[in-house]
Amino acid sequence: MSAALRPSARPLLRDPFFAGIVFVLWVLLGIFVLYPLGCLFVRAFAGEAGFSIQPFLDVINNPNHRRAFLNSLLLALAVGVGGTVLGFVFAFTAVRAGLSRRWRGIIDTATLLPLISPPFTISVAILFSFGARGLITYDLLGIKGFAIYGFKSTALAEIITYFPIAYLTLRPILASIDSNIENAALSMGASRWRVFRTVTLPLAVPGVANAFLLLFACSLADFATPLILSGNDFPVLPTEAFLQITGQFDLRGGALLSILLLAPAAAVFLLQRYWLAGRSYVTVTGKASSRSEVDLLAPAARRLLFAVCAVVAVSVLYFYALLLYASLVMAFGANHTFTLKHYHVIFTEGIPAIRDTLIIAAIGMPLGGLYGVLVGYIVARKQFWGRQALELVSMINYALPGTIVGIAYLLAFNDKPLELTGTATIIVACYIFRYSPTGIRATIALLHQIDRSLEEASESLGARSGTTFRRITLPLILPAFFTGLGVVFIRSMTAISATIFLISISWTLVTVRILENMTELSLGPAAAFSVFVVVVVYVALWLIGRLLARFRAAEGGGRVESILGG
Amino acid sequence: MTVQAMQPVPIRLSGIAKSFEHGVKGRIFAVKDVDLQVVPGELLTLLGPSGCGKTTTLRMIAGFEQPTQGSIHIGERDVTGLRANERNIGFVFQNYAIFPHLSVFENVGYGLRVQKQPEAEVQRAVQEVLELVGLAGYAQQQPHQLSGGEQQRIALARAIVFRPRILLFDEPLSNLDAKLRVQMRSEILQLQKRLNITTVYVTHDQEEAMAISDRIAVMDRGSIAQIASAEDLYDRPRSEFVARFIGRANLLQGTLRSAGAQPSVEVLGQAMAVPAAPPGAQVGDSVSVMVRPERVQLLRAGAAQGLAGKVVTRTFLGEKTEYHVEAAGQTLQVAQFGDARAERFSPGDAVQLCFPGGNIHLIGA
Repeated sequence: MSAALRPSARPLLRDPFFAGIVFVLWVLLGIFVLYPLGCLFVRAFAGEAGFSIQPFLDVINNPNHRRAFLNSLLLALAVGVGGTVLGFVFAFTAVRAGLSRRWRGIIDTATLLPLISPPFTISVAILFSFGARGLITYDLLGIKGFAIYGFKSTALAEIITYFPIAYLTLRPILASIDSNIENAALSMGASRWRVFRTVTLPLAVPGVANAFLLLFACSLADFATPLILSGNDFPVLPTEAFLQITGQFDLRGGALLSILLLAPAAAVFLLQRYWLAGRSYVTVTGKASSRSEVDLLAPAARRLLFAVCAVVAVSVLYFYALLLYASLVMAFGANHTFTLKHYHVIFTEGIPAIRDTLIIAAIGMPLGGLYGVLVGYIVARKQFWGRQALELVSMINYALPGTIVGIAYLLAFNDKPLELTGTATIIVACYIFRYSPTGIRATIALLHQIDRSLEEASESLGARSGTTFRRITLPLILPAFFTGLGVVFIRSMTAISATIFLISISWTLVTVRILENMTELSLGPAAAFSVFVVVVVYVALWLIGRLLARFRAAEGGGRVESILGG
Repeated sequence: MTVQAMQPVPIRLSGIAKSFEHGVKGRIFAVKDVDLQVVPGELLTLLGPSGCGKTTTLRMIAGFEQPTQGSIHIGERDVTGLRANERNIGFVFQNYAIFPHLSVFENVGYGLRVQKQPEAEVQRAVQEVLELVGLAGYAQQQPHQLSGGEQQRIALARAIVFRPRILLFDEPLSNLDAKLRVQMRSEILQLQKRLNITTVYVTHDQEEAMAISDRIAVMDRGSIAQIASAEDLYDRPRSEFVARFIGRANLLQGTLRSAGAQPSVEVLGQAMAVPAAPPGAQVGDSVSVMVRPERVQLLRAGAAQGLAGKVVTRTFLGEKTEYHVEAAGQTLQVAQFGDARAERFSPGDAVQLCFPGGNIHLIGA
């Protein structure tokens, strides 16, 4: 035994099981995260004359592209601000206004539905409502040829789609602000409004900033909503990149446009990770202080908050009711005879898409769940060289807009040595590496609550690290595993921005079928498909919630909301 | 497991050090130059204030942490590079570390199942050890149904069921209430003697250490200050740190007046005979004079002998009465144990302080 040991290097060498897992993870991350990104950059910048940024400059100098870039930023800014304000109002009302059971239920439903819907849902509902033959614009107001397409409708649809994420982010933060701090301010003579301005709001600032960044990133990456609603006058980057590739078969142009999208997305990611991290003032001490809601909210303020929430929540429910109605009539806007034929269509012609989606989800779920738990465990529990790099790389596909990931996969796996285009593998891989970070985070959060001595106890009883992981750690982080399963399932039912580039004749997806229906203007089947997805995802979520509740009873496992948040 | 005695093994730590690279402070030693021999069958306690390195030392013996220098032997085997699961140890954690998702039976049988013992043997051994810790009939309980004391027994049962070569305890009683703590420590001691397993025990509670240990290693800032029996540590501490950490001590500055057969010291202007001079001290050296509070006699002023002083405070504590007495510019602690005939003093009373011969201990500078 040498006298001087280097503690950092030893465990990896001493534990071949663990070393093997780290090696395999790096290989997988290399193939499915780094290699595609590398391909994207090579395709964008390498020409016959070697590497050059000239093509990139050409893209920037193209006024249409520059406009799409600025439009994307403008839209993301509007959705970020609008969605955060709305999310804050909802969260504050839910936490402080003392809602009745029924209104709590309505708010929960209105904030849950957009999170579990396939893309296009709100867009279609807005078309049904405000389109040229829309219920409100045409039938109620009698406006002919109302121009719905453009910035305003896109922003509106995205705000409604994404504000629940801000709500879920802000509600626990507002709920955990110790009301004694506010009471202290009140006792010093501050008015309620002043307490809100000088105490409550500043304490919530890190959460608000986080919510804004989440929504900014969601809007920046959103491909489906602009495709339906932005029209010709308001191009944005994800749709431009998509059209460049599918319409003009210009892979390089698409790659370059997606790289343009990379800069703001990376900026948001880095801000969240390094600027916001550790800035939260709110600490969960577990020490409950008696809440005095009534004192902290003026009656007029409560009425105003309640009115805003009620109007928005009822509007969301109205949109979904409209969607359900449209799925049950012959042709919305023209023939309102009741029919089940759209559902007949999705359960006959739509069956291949449903079957493919379920097969891909069934393969992706266990793999994604296991991958999330493994990476989370290694990052939270092990010390080894490159640990932080591993974590960072595992987050990349999650942080990047789907359009970038989709185009990168398309470029990377189109040719040898890894010819995967057209297979289910590529779609499964895309889901695993894009949506498992939620499982990774859930695992890390759970492991922070599980004392390390449990694993040491197992080790002292003679168990090897593999045995300890299998028999002690894994059972304890099962809630995170199920969270990972749930996210992969829900996303495989609802995601489109990356996989739109990866489907093929052999393998297609429900979301892509909805898009095809929309472009063929068969809105009835599109509505029926959307209702179908909402129901399936809702049932899945309910089952996972039941499962997590069982664990929670024992040792405080994850909440179902963790599946849905950004 | 059979409850008969096994052949106990020694534990040997040679030149153990554990250091960390600190961003600002440079290299920090959590443990430094620790040499320690634990005799077979002995219960040795590592005692010290928090941050003294006792838990780090224990965790290095267990294999949860690797020493930066030195070697560890369990029996004749060098285990320095081995992981905890290769060392055959029983470890009892401060928070018990009961697996929350496993029943009592599965917790206790975990080590045997890891060893792939036949199921019948697992059943038999678990039942036997549960009886031994007084929890027969608890096998199918879930951990959250158990009280703190019961969890502690389960942790103990789990650590001994597979006949480890050594037992390690990391502050096992600190989460129990005072009464249970006293009961559990005598149970641990009885069990340890019955099983005859070499044991290292970490605590910061000196009373617990004194009650349970064959020997105590007092640690200070990463090193061992003194290893001795409880009596030796109390009566003959080798440093002011040990004198202050074990029990309470009056420490006065003195000068060695004579060494050899009849050593004496001059303290507070008086010459006093002492049992022994500190090793290596020369006549004329300055030394620390330690007197335990309960070994100081308090007499009414005017007595023929002793040092004149004045009572500052008096605290009645039931079994004893404590005084602070000012003498020659210093404050001394004095404790009088309840004798109904003992004279009572009040603050302001003039008194004489006496140090009966043999109750003074000198510590070299």
